Amino acid sequence: MLTFFAKRMGWSVFTVLLATVLVFSAIQSLPGDAASQILGQNATPSAVATMRQQLGLDEPPVSRFFNWLGKALHGDFGNSLVGGGSVAAEVGSALVNTSLLAGITIVIGILLSLVLGLVAGLTRDRWPDISISTLALVGMSVPEFVVATVLVLLFSIYIPIFPAVVIAGQNASLADLLPSVWLPAGALICVLAAYIIRMMRTSVIDVMDSEFVRTAILKGNSTSRVVFKHLLPSAMLPTLNVIAMNIAWLIGGVVVVESIFNYPGIGTLMIRSVQTRDLPTILLITVMSALTYVVCNLLADFAAFLLNPRLRYPRSSK
Amino acid sequence: MDSRIEAPTGWLSRRTLLAGSALLLAPAVLAACGVSPSPSATGAATGVARQGGTLRIARPPASKAETLDPASSLSAYEYLGALYNRLVKLSAKGEIVPDLAESWTLSKDAMTWTFVLRKGVTWHDGKPFTAQDVIFSIQHILDPATKSPQAGVLSPFVDGNSITAPDANTVVFALKSPNAEFASLLTGYNCYIIPSGSAATIGTSGVGTGPFKLKSFTAAGPGVILRNDNYFGDKPKLDSIEFSSIADTQARVNALLAGQVDLVAQTNLDFATAKTVSASSVATVSSVKNAQWYPVPMLNTSEQFKDADIRRAFAHAYNPDEVFKLAVQGNGTIAHNNPVPPTEAYHLDYGLGYDPDKSKALLKAKGFDHFDVPIYTSSYDPVLSPLALALQSSMKAANINLTVTNSPADSYFTDVWMKKPLMTTYWYTGRPIDQLLNQIFRTGSSYNETAYSNATFDQTLDAARATVDDGKRKTLYQDAQKILIDDGGSLTPFFSDRITGLSKKVVNYSEHGFEFDYINIGLLA
Repeated sequence: MLTFFAKRMGWSVFTVLLATVLVFSAIQSLPGDAASQILGQNATPSAVATMRQQLGLDEPPVSRFFNWLGKALHGDFGNSLVGGGSVAAEVGSALVNTSLLAGITIVIGILLSLVLGLVAGLTRDRWPDISISTLALVGMSVPEFVVATVLVLLFSIYIPIFPAVVIAGQNASLADLLPSVWLPAGALICVLAAYIIRMMRTSVIDVMDSEFVRTAILKGNSTSRVVFKHLLPSAMLPTLNVIAMNIAWLIGGVVVVESIFNYPGIGTLMIRSVQTRDLPTILLITVMSALTYVVCNLLADFAAFLLNPRLRYPRSSK
Repeated sequence: MDSRIEAPTGWLSRRTLLAGSALLLAPAVLAACGVSPSPSATGAATGVARQGGTLRIARPPASKAETLDPASSLSAYEYLGALYNRLVKLSAKGEIVPDLAESWTLSKDAMTWTFVLRKGVTWHDGKPFTAQDVIFSIQHILDPATKSPQAGVLSPFVDGNSITAPDANTVVFALKSPNAEFASLLTGYNCYIIPSGSAATIGTSGVGTGPFKLKSFTAAGPGVILRNDNYFGDKPKLDSIEFSSIADTQARVNALLAGQVDLVAQTNLDFATAKTVSASSVATVSSVKNAQWYPVPMLNTSEQFKDADIRRAFAHAYNPDEVFKLAVQGNGTIAHNNPVPPTEAYHLDYGLGYDPDKSKALLKAKGFDHFDVPIYTSSYDPVLSPLALALQSSMKAANINLTVTNSPADSYFTDVWMKKPLMTTYWYTGRPIDQLLNQIFRTGSSYNETAYSNATFDQTLDAARATVDDGKRKTLYQDAQKILIDDGGSLTPFFSDRITGLSKKVVNYSEHGFEFDYINIGLLA
């Protein structure tokens, strides 16, 4: 078990590192750099050259990357090329805002979808299942910007309950964000829930068909006992990975939804940083997203370990 | 809140592009020639604004490097006209009118300009405004460390040491070369006057002489300005204006429809969105006639377009009615390849019209049965791609095959503009003819997007600048237009209207050129 986790950890570190290398190269290949983006089109070539020197962009990319990596390993992620402020502080505050959005989405989204998935699985091919599955299919096929726009239309414009956008900007307080967080969360839940519901339904159906559940039912266990004691732990197993992937997706890139609601989170910051080619900010966001991704996957594996006896006692022990 | 279009993708504002050119304005004489008035907003409610209230304006965010220093290319544009004043500004009719300067005189050789300043003006911090502040502001623009886009516009005529103040209310500019339209250079939006010695602090303090004073400002974020009760002119109706930064165009419109903001600044609504906004019970649209100009520059230095006959073949190749309808649904005016707007006093009623046979003959004479070239476009502005597609379909009849190529919006003006042989772009109209012709078509000028170079054309422009006689100057500018249209390299299918969204509660919204009326705008009584 220890070797298993050591291996997984090793791969995780490698994944994060690979992500930064890929993103760094991708930004290098984009046309223009921070100096030309900051100064704009009317900048004289000498002004751009000076700016490039000031920002250290005249050094070769490889040495710049290792320079960044060396400092990053010591927890120094540098300053923004555009605003000049600490990248860690800026990404940190955006991350807090996104965490609020993601937290609400995850708690409501997962609870809702697990319950709906379970109901759909237990009522296979009857009306509750058909309506839930249809809704899930719609949720999967409609892109989040459409869902977001419809939500704004319904709940900000026709029935003005929620604000359409966050107008307080990057330094928005919790009080500013709380009324505004529900519509973006709703849009994200629609998309997130669809996948989890589908997965949960399939896995509930599979488990219901399995011998041990049938045995449990034949033994005369109450329905609730069968569902909670026997069915849920097994049905949750494959669903965990889907949940983990979706959480990683949430934290890493709710770019579209944040942009539509002008929500001052990590997605909005990412878009702006890519536009200005603000490499230190982009790299830190990459590290955070990659970390979230691997941590979620590790947790999913770990949870699977706890839920599945077969993984805990591998056959190699014979 | 000028009439430029915002960058849909964020901070890289078209303003940066226009900044260097920022407005040499139509000289006062133009209006005297009986010119039809410059376009101004139509469709917005007028009436009695109540005293007081807060106007909420959504604007596209600039970068985190945004500043209140008006000289900077990163100035927070929407605040400038509220916080500061210039020596002179532009009226809706295109005349140069007094702002901080009460009057001005020009020497007979067009080499010396003397400005008499308004008396009794105070800065927001209570200090008196003097001629030294004007000298400091111009020197600040010219200082290479400021990296002001306006430096390149002013430096051919003036250097920091040639500006003097005989007394506290007089400023004299001794020019390096004659310019009968020098005052128009000072109407540029980088030319706002800041307090002497404030170069280091102005970016955050925002201390000016304007109708509003700064309460708070966050780069690329929200900010608030309050009415300045000591303002020398008419006092604003509003108590305050709240600005918020919303990057996404659709999000700005949503905020307007949901009643979270009252006006969207720098957003040219596409026609579909404009219809949605007009249909709303809380918001409406206002249209500024012929506010934009959509040229398709043909790079004269490129293999494809180095020959003037090929450029002429392109000018004759498309049907303007068809392109005009397809690209902007007829909102604007057909231009027949003359980039000088019909509202301009020195406009020459001449152009190259639709003639596919002539186009084919010109190509044939150069050995082409058909002509294939890519046309670059982007989502930077809602009209660019429809324009490229409309030209593509319209030019087929003349055996010209355009391949429409979409480029990323965030690097369009750094990587495509002035680099690819054929691309779509746009400008804000409202710049006077001297600036238009010198900055966009003169040999080697900074915005010469066609890389046009013609000695006769340049000499004609020089002669015009040095001519104090209005009639003679008009003839010279018209000669220059004729040369440009026949020989140049910009397809100019049309001038287009610009559509802004605003709340029905807003009255007396008005803007023209780079001027926004902060005084009369208010909320419904």
